[in-house]
Amino acid sequence: MVSYNKNILRVIVIASYIIIITLIIYGISALLAYLNTGADRSTILHTEIQKIDQYLPKVTWAPLSNEGRPIDSENLNKIENNYLDAWYVKHIAYKTNTTAGIKDYYTDSARLNLFNFIELNAAQNISIESTTLEHHPSLEFFSEDGQLAVITDKDVIEYKRIFQNELLVLETTEISTYKIILLLEDGFWRIRHLVKESTENYDPIATAISTKNLNIQGINYYPQATPWDMFGEAFSADIITKDFKTIKDAGLNSVRIFIPYEDFGKADVDAEKLEKLKHTLDAAQANHLGVVVTLFDFYGDYSIIDWTLNMRHAETIVTALKDHKAIVAWDIKNEPNLDFKSRGKDMVVAWLKNMVQLVKSKDQNHPVTIGWSNTESASILKDKVDFVSFHYYEDLELLQDAIKTMKAEIPNKTIVLGEFGMSSYNGFWKPFGNSDEDQANYHKKAQEIIATNNLQYMSWTLYDFENIPKNVVGKLPWRKDAQKQFGFIDKNGAKKLAFKYISGQ
Amino acid sequence: MRLNLIYIQVIILLCLSSFAIKTDAVDNVSVTDIQLLTQKNTFQAGDTITLQFSTTESITPLMYCTNSYGSTLIKPSNKDNKLYYRLPQNLSHKIGSLYWKLLNDTTHINGEIKIIPKTQAVKMETYIGPPSIEAGGTDYTMLVVIPTDELDNPLPEHTSVTAKHQFLNEISIDSIQTKNLIAYKTINSKDESGRMLVSSESVNINSKEFTINVLPAIPKSFTISAEQPHNYADGNQQTVFSTSILKDKYGNIVSDGTFVTFSITTSEGTVLKTYGTTIKGIAQARMIHPDHQAQWHIKAYVAGMAESNTIDLNFQQVIKDFNVEFSKHNRTITVGPLQSFMNQMIPDGLQVKLFIYKNNELLEQLNKTSVDGYVRFNLKPNIVQNDSYDFIIKTAGIEQSFNTKTLW
Repeated sequence: MVSYNKNILRVIVIASYIIIITLIIYGISALLAYLNTGADRSTILHTEIQKIDQYLPKVTWAPLSNEGRPIDSENLNKIENNYLDAWYVKHIAYKTNTTAGIKDYYTDSARLNLFNFIELNAAQNISIESTTLEHHPSLEFFSEDGQLAVITDKDVIEYKRIFQNELLVLETTEISTYKIILLLEDGFWRIRHLVKESTENYDPIATAISTKNLNIQGINYYPQATPWDMFGEAFSADIITKDFKTIKDAGLNSVRIFIPYEDFGKADVDAEKLEKLKHTLDAAQANHLGVVVTLFDFYGDYSIIDWTLNMRHAETIVTALKDHKAIVAWDIKNEPNLDFKSRGKDMVVAWLKNMVQLVKSKDQNHPVTIGWSNTESASILKDKVDFVSFHYYEDLELLQDAIKTMKAEIPNKTIVLGEFGMSSYNGFWKPFGNSDEDQANYHKKAQEIIATNNLQYMSWTLYDFENIPKNVVGKLPWRKDAQKQFGFIDKNGAKKLAFKYISGQ
Repeated sequence: MRLNLIYIQVIILLCLSSFAIKTDAVDNVSVTDIQLLTQKNTFQAGDTITLQFSTTESITPLMYCTNSYGSTLIKPSNKDNKLYYRLPQNLSHKIGSLYWKLLNDTTHINGEIKIIPKTQAVKMETYIGPPSIEAGGTDYTMLVVIPTDELDNPLPEHTSVTAKHQFLNEISIDSIQTKNLIAYKTINSKDESGRMLVSSESVNINSKEFTINVLPAIPKSFTISAEQPHNYADGNQQTVFSTSILKDKYGNIVSDGTFVTFSITTSEGTVLKTYGTTIKGIAQARMIHPDHQAQWHIKAYVAGMAESNTIDLNFQQVIKDFNVEFSKHNRTITVGPLQSFMNQMIPDGLQVKLFIYKNNELLEQLNKTSVDGYVRFNLKPNIVQNDSYDFIIKTAGIEQSFNTKTLW
């Protein structure tokens, strides 16, 4: 017995010795490996800088009719990239009041002008967050030796937020025309002279799109197996077609779907996902359903330097789909007011305003809305959107009054109840939760209120879900489990009691 | 009493309403009563620019200003209800549009002023390229001038600039005007090659001097010649080939270093090549003589541009015959004396080949070069065993056969 114990001890001692030695050797080798890594040789060339999309304002070149040497597309691209990079480093420099990157894109004498501004603004604690949204350059001149170019950049739309002592003092959008002389130095097209020829305040008025024919009686839709991941690997047009038929048969006429921003490739929209989205719209059209497409799902940055990337994303999707017969409306963002606290209300609202403007400029036929999460936020940007939508998960008793207040605030816009519903979850985490009957009564009552107020609506949601990704409601089980049972159809595919009241019919 | 109460109520109401009107009036004042006093809206770069506003209060709202390079905020001074915004040098020194916006509470009154450059150029920023062009009048270089004032601002449109260039004994002066901030002039080459000096001038300010090389155009066809110490095929002396002076069609001698390829086709159809580069238009190349009688056709090329005439060279056979001596059990074969055209011993290095056949099958080939006019082959028994063989010996294009020689 004693020797047995001793053997165990021996094994433990030897094993722990081996483990400790292994860890020490691993640690030393990792340290040596780290110390042996140097700068990547490829960084000697400036090849990697342009590879990341960080700033993509809309650039529309005028037809080429320059004096001097005719230019080829390769040189023109290089000029465009370097010119935009010059803008980008300028934005960053004025935001942070540092000079990083400026010397790559401005010649010795030109950069002094920027340094002077940085010095002046830094001394007064002024910082400027800015971006440009559109450029319309035309090449005026390209020298015979290909070392000097003059461009006129017309109607540059610049958006700026000026801060002093960390307080926002001005938000401004200007439209300007610049003349720029660029020199090719050390492989970079650098700005030598920059002359602003004119500036005006810019406040575009987008034409309102009539919502007279808008008649949304619909539901928010995710497939049962893949909620919040509708266009992933498991995408199935057959399942979606089947579900759309169920929705149509239930007496509804539209669905609201969500386009996740990052999943769709951010600025560079994934063609495959876009194709899946088109299939979804085709399925809706086949079932005579309209689709409200909600953009920018799971996006929460709103920072100004990100705007141009967001705009390219929205532009690609809207341009690709605007002629699709199934499209009913664009919902710019789901519940953006939830980000007011973390990102600042003015920042989020400015972003939304810009994005509404962009979507309306790309699609003149379909109305635009913003899916506010509560009734209090609904009147924000009411003059910019074509119809107002809000979500309601609070006590139905209070809904009637809330609608009244809203209608008083927003007298001349259609109001759509974009999300509402009740979870029938009743279990370990919430022993006194709601039953299927409660859910059915909720929807019955909701439909009554909708009918009384002649509202348009989209309920939440068709299915009970099995798996909820943790970025939807977090990973707390009582939240997740409640979120799983908002459906009209349970996880086994059986219609719940509430299904009777899925539509007003 | 009741009447009194009503009076009091009416008075209170009146007071309240007058308050309301009063506050309204105050609001209106602050909205409308800041007025721009500065009439001028065009300034010259470097001027002290102060924008003046009238107001009715002692307020000091910030002013937002933006120009070509950046934006900032300016604090005013308020003297006797007048606001003075003095623009910092960042703004007042750079030309272009300067847009301002007053950050008072409600309305942002705004405006734009133009800052124009100083009229006097102090620097002629000059760029010229390409730095070398081809003679003949079709190729050109381009002079680009950005006349700038002392604050590094480009001068306005239609500023006159004089572009000057000197070539050989001619000086040209052209007047050009700025457009899109620059002025440019294309300068064509002349028929002659040489150096061209270029400069520019605007309002008595001159640029520095720039040099353009006008290089000769591509060469025309040329002739070649050959120079030989003798015309014997001794495998030792060299023939030197030379071109005539290579010139372009305007008579300019081509640039030094122009590469010329001499291509020699022998009577057997083999092509030999030798190369040279030009110095003062002449390229030279050398080729060693063959070791046997031959006829060469020589033609030279400047690849893709020009070619020469063809010349022929004949080489006479120098070795008419040679002795072969077998000794030491026929294992030592001595070839020689090998004698040249004056019966002198041929210079070292003539190649002699020995072929050993057995029943018409090549067993061994041995190559040796001559030393002092002789070549000695030693056939070792472990390589060539005792037997009888046929031998063929070849040199200088002639051969001798020795059949069934027995080695022992």
